[in-house]
Amino acid sequence: MSTFASSDPKTALMNQVRQEAAVQNARQLVEKLNEHCFERCIPKPGSSLSKGEETCFSQCMEKYMGAWNTVSRQYIGRIQKEAGSMGGTSL
Amino acid sequence: MDSLVSGSSLPVDPSKLSDNDKKEIQQFVVNETQKARIQQSIHSLTDMCFRKCITSRISSGSLDRNEESCTQNCVDRYMDANHTILKKLEEMRTLG
Repeated sequence: MSTFASSDPKTALMNQVRQEAAVQNARQLVEKLNEHCFERCIPKPGSSLSKGEETCFSQCMEKYMGAWNTVSRQYIGRIQKEAGSMGGTSL
Repeated sequence: MDSLVSGSSLPVDPSKLSDNDKKEIQQFVVNETQKARIQQSIHSLTDMCFRKCITSRISSGSLDRNEESCTQNCVDRYMDANHTILKKLEEMRTLG
């Protein structure tokens, strides 16, 4: 967190806002990963996580993050296109 | 993570900021808010489209071609649906 120690108060404030936004974003992704992959990979919870469940979990996480990236590209491309056609209200 | 929240007082005394700084921060907050809103939409779209498009047994870490194009269509059709609703509401407003 050394970035907060910036002597310039304006920069310090902006850094804190950015940092908190990033934490919030990561937290939400973790929550969704857990929700989806638990549902998909562990239909019947046993007494411990099996090897197969673990493999499924890591593949599921990669897949979810891949979907996140695809959605992100597609969504941002779309809103940029629409903003452009509406006379340049920029993002 | 707690360290961020527990010391929740801002690192800045607002009275020490110049008018220019205040203006810049205001614009920054507007931009960050919009970014956060977009990011929020991406989270909920991913949630929804993953449910709809990744339906077969998970056996690899990457999206296959069908899953990829389904996800892209999912985003586009959601946006179409959104526009359809807005258009319809606008129609109802002007007619009613």
